[in-house]
Amino acid sequence: MGFTKINGKMVEALLVPGQRLFSQRGAMLAYTGDVRFTPNITGGQGGVMSMIGRRVANEDTPLMTVEGQGRVMFGHGGHHVHVIDLVGDTLYVEADRLLAFEGTLRQSTMFMGSQGGVMGMVRGQVTGQGLFTTKLEGQGAVAVMAHGGVFELPIVPGQSVHVDPQAYVAHRGQVQNKLSTALGWRDMIGRGSGEAFQLELSGQGAVYVQASEEKL
Amino acid sequence: MAQFRLQGSRVLAVELAGEAVKARHGSMVAYTGQMSFKKLTGGGDGLRGMVARRLTGEQMTVMEVKGQGTCYFADKATEINLVRLNGETLFVEADNLLCTEGSLRTGTTFTGLNGMSSGNGLFTTKVEGHGWAAVTSNGPAIILRVDKSQPLRVDPGAYVAHTGSLHRSLKSGAGWTTVIGEGGGEAVQVEFTGEGLVYVQPSEKVTIGGDV
Amino acid sequence: MSYPPQPPYGQSPYDQPTQPGFAAPPPPGYGPQPGQGYPPPAPGYPQQGGYPPPPPPQQPQQAYAQEQFGGPQAPLPSTHGGSGPVVYDAFSLPVNDNVNPYAFSVDLNGSYFLQKGKMVAYYGDITFKGVGAGVLDRMIGQHFNSPMHAADWVVAQGRGKLLLADRAFDLNSYDLDEGNLTVRSGNLLAFDPSLRLKQSIIPGFLTLIGTGKFVAASNGPVHFVEPPIRVDPQALVGWADCPAPCHHYDHDYMHGLIGGIRRLTGLGGASGEEHQFEFIGAGQVLLQSSEKLMAERSVGQVDAEAGVPVGGVPSQPAASGHGGGNLNVPGLGNLGDLGRRFGL
Repeated sequence: MGFTKINGKMVEALLVPGQRLFSQRGAMLAYTGDVRFTPNITGGQGGVMSMIGRRVANEDTPLMTVEGQGRVMFGHGGHHVHVIDLVGDTLYVEADRLLAFEGTLRQSTMFMGSQGGVMGMVRGQVTGQGLFTTKLEGQGAVAVMAHGGVFELPIVPGQSVHVDPQAYVAHRGQVQNKLSTALGWRDMIGRGSGEAFQLELSGQGAVYVQASEEKL
Repeated sequence: MAQFRLQGSRVLAVELAGEAVKARHGSMVAYTGQMSFKKLTGGGDGLRGMVARRLTGEQMTVMEVKGQGTCYFADKATEINLVRLNGETLFVEADNLLCTEGSLRTGTTFTGLNGMSSGNGLFTTKVEGHGWAAVTSNGPAIILRVDKSQPLRVDPGAYVAHTGSLHRSLKSGAGWTTVIGEGGGEAVQVEFTGEGLVYVQPSEKVTIGGDV
Repeated sequence: MSYPPQPPYGQSPYDQPTQPGFAAPPPPGYGPQPGQGYPPPAPGYPQQGGYPPPPPPQQPQQAYAQEQFGGPQAPLPSTHGGSGPVVYDAFSLPVNDNVNPYAFSVDLNGSYFLQKGKMVAYYGDITFKGVGAGVLDRMIGQHFNSPMHAADWVVAQGRGKLLLADRAFDLNSYDLDEGNLTVRSGNLLAFDPSLRLKQSIIPGFLTLIGTGKFVAASNGPVHFVEPPIRVDPQALVGWADCPAPCHHYDHDYMHGLIGGIRRLTGLGGASGEEHQFEFIGAGQVLLQSSEKLMAERSVGQVDAEAGVPVGGVPSQPAASGHGGGNLNVPGLGNLGDLGRRFGL
């Protein structure tokens, strides 16, 4: 299955019976064949807890289940689409950047605070993206959206990467994240919130950064 | 010397080994290594530059980035054009200047022309010296040559930058015979004569004429 | 980033044998699309550094030098070895083809209709006149065969090279050869005077008929597909030759007890995909890879008359979908709207 890129802003998925996809609601552009779109009440496979988590987080990115037989094209908002293949590893992605992902992936909502501590919570507030991040693990493909396309920066031990929280898209692997206030950044307060913070990622993995400081 | 390269077409990667570059405030999207960021007062070009900026209201908040490692810059997913200057002068709309090497001087110059349409005030940013400058454009910039036999007219909203010895003058579209809204739609144009290169973006900023 | 040249018209991935029965030949009347395969990307484009050797140092610039920039007679930069970005001039600009995915160069010799404000630059001797300015009425009559809002259009007349662009949206040109193509009004940018422009029965769409070239913008590259297909209304750019679309509703979803409750209460949410345009028959459907609509251009009001869809009702610009699209983008200034409101 997986996603085939049609162009920089559009992907196509081939659906076969017995397999399903999840996608952001309203992100379907066109389809052929016999395809059903069902809004997700339970939030994918996360079950009730996941739903509660989402309510609590007020993370308003409703998903829909896509099933049937045919081809479906996805795209959204003119944003660039990037396909990430997961091979048993874990991807953390801001929920509103998820365009679509394969049903074979396990989805859960993660409380960033549990990983990043207090700063992680701050981070949620800073980016305005909620304290919850969607966690996807297993084997399958994920299509994420970004303003202006993404580039991937490797994270290796001893070489941490700092990212503007607003340009952060997703990360994968064994990565610790924390919000740091860089020296000198204090001087820069005065132009919008969030400027004074950086997201520091360290460990082993990769981070996806978009070519824009604009949040989706 | 700072190394400028493009990461894709919309991200500028600058390799730093202790030098400093000047970049548009808040344009850093990521970095590796050690970096420090300092907001520059008055754009770092002295009192005159600062006064000029005050007077003109031209917004060019600049930060100085210094350190060891790679710093990535981007601005609202705009395309990035690298310009190498070897002593000549680049005139660029302040909004479109993303990053300059520390060795380049930036200043503000009176143009009296383009500003009126782009809302940038009547002043254009001038970059001179030796080094790299990164200029953004909404969509990849098209570089158009102007010489004696080929004057060029540009929509003010699509103008990004120019180099060379060019004379700019404001022309009203010849067909602008009726009121705005039913007029030619290309009411105000900037004519470039002389010799040089003009960078034009495939897009138009909001202009005072509305649909101009 | 990636602008893979679109497959030539009629050869979308949909033609591949994986879809038995759908491999219709390209509709007649459709020439190859010069604008589809963008001109070979100029070497080094996008710029990879290696800029043309810039002009030698110029004389120091005087601050406040009015309108005279640079030292006199500074020699021009030249591209070296083709490794720098391409510098175009009046002669090297493409003839009626794309300069890059976002800009189109018209080799003007005569007249051309364009949507107001889409000219970014030109060489040569060209004038722009508002359509509806009175002088041109006779000409307009020949090309705008509908109560269209002519105020949105200008006619460019003269000789030269004209660069068109629209807010960095992707541009494509389409050649019609005794054909017809219907396009969303907001997406149509410019057209050859040899074409006739008419209002489509489907509100918000315009139909071009005849032989000639037109240029349309899209949010993301245009993707061609062949029916049968169901398309999200917002992703539809237009269609060629196939019968006009019909509405398709997801009946499983909207009907029955649960559906009724859902519809009434909104409980359970909607997938957002309950309604599509369905295309059947032979032809081509043009999709844009985005659900963010380009701003609608008013196509004018149809007189109230029995049997005319939405007759007497001004077409409403569709609300932009989610994505927080701020459509107040350049080229859509308020004055223009005012003009439209009061002009016609």
